[in-house]
Amino acid sequence: MAKIKFRIATPERVVYESEVDSVTCPTEMGEVTILPKHIPLVANLKAGELKTIQNGQENYFSLSGGFLEVRTNNEIVILADSAEHAHEIDMARAEEARGRAKKLMAEEVRSEEEYAVTAAALERALARIRVARRRHKDVGRTAP
Amino acid sequence: MPSLRDIKRRIKSIQSTRKITRAMQMVSASKMRKAQSAVTNSRTYADLAWELINSVIPAMPGGRQAQVTSGFLQTFPEAEKIGIVLLTTNRGLVGSLNSNLAAKIKEIPNSEIISEIITYGKNARTIAGRLQKNVVADFPKMDRMISAVEIYPLARYISDIYQTGEYQKIFIVYNHFVSTLIQKSTIKQLLPFIGGRNLTRPSTTLSDIGEGRGEVIYNAIQNEYLFEPAPDRVINHLLPRIIESQIYQAILESDASEHSARMVMMKNATEAAGDLIFDLTLTYNQVRQNKITTELAEITAGRIALE
Repeated sequence: MAKIKFRIATPERVVYESEVDSVTCPTEMGEVTILPKHIPLVANLKAGELKTIQNGQENYFSLSGGFLEVRTNNEIVILADSAEHAHEIDMARAEEARGRAKKLMAEEVRSEEEYAVTAAALERALARIRVARRRHKDVGRTAP
Repeated sequence: MPSLRDIKRRIKSIQSTRKITRAMQMVSASKMRKAQSAVTNSRTYADLAWELINSVIPAMPGGRQAQVTSGFLQTFPEAEKIGIVLLTTNRGLVGSLNSNLAAKIKEIPNSEIISEIITYGKNARTIAGRLQKNVVADFPKMDRMISAVEIYPLARYISDIYQTGEYQKIFIVYNHFVSTLIQKSTIKQLLPFIGGRNLTRPSTTLSDIGEGRGEVIYNAIQNEYLFEPAPDRVINHLLPRIIESQIYQAILESDASEHSARMVMMKNATEAAGDLIFDLTLTYNQVRQNKITTELAEITAGRIALE
């Protein structure tokens, strides 16, 4: 089967570049899975986890918003505001960020804008934690 | 003929200067490597984002004219002011990098209409003063590598002032990093947004700006895109990102230029000091030899006189 040329780029660096079989990512309209020979598509992404499958092996990334572009020649480009591979995520820091965001949201007097900012931060932290957990589970499964 | 001691003193002083310039060269070299890899890494994102916007705009219903809803595509031809974002270095010893930028600003046509400067970097203030332009905002430049998040305030400020309608155009002036030896002072139009040209290719003359509309049309025919949720939603999301990525890229380019220029300057200084030491040592030895010869001649003359 045809492979997808897949790239994740953030303003700072290219996070990942490889040939994969499928890509699953969270768009504003819900989660989508892209298989080879998909028609060209542009979509807004929201914070969440991105999954790629490469020869039956799953790879997870945490994303915090951005764009998905599917091109004609089996090429997928993710332009993310920030992205991390599962093994790069610092669990302690993510938990801390979640705690901070939760606490901020619990406080009462908030303007709508501030609330949205903290909600987005919380969502980002949650996405990172989910991706990091997944990695730990996978390690458990493959252990003898 | 300078005395032996004078020459020796000069050699010593040049040697210690060389030590300093060599240390500065090493420091700049390591910063330069970091800055250069940052610049090349971020070019991918800037390029990809640029390609994306160029395929999205023609796909908008009604083409370019229809999206006046997005503040970034609005134009204010009646406005009186031109905004200039000036990216310079904090410190000196970078050769002509900063003065080249000042010359670049003078190239902007209609400089008689009021232009205002947004500065980034300490030298920018001096340049603004020399050009007798108003500084409307000053953003401090960090001496370390910055992440994309840190330029959001600057990007936000620029888009806010543009949307007040007081500015006809906003330009960004910086040094484009071509290679360690070559940096090009560059001027680029940030707003209103014009598509087409590749981001990381510098447009060094003003006439270059706005070229390449043909590319846009070509892309539109080639790619039939599907949008989720809708083209205008995507574009409203994407345009601020493009502006940010353009500014971020420019800052990285100017960082890489700064460190490269300083590294080269310091390397030249170290080499020049080496040459000078070589010359002085030669003179020193000549003077020393002359002295010995004279002394010997005197001694011999004295002996002959005694016999």
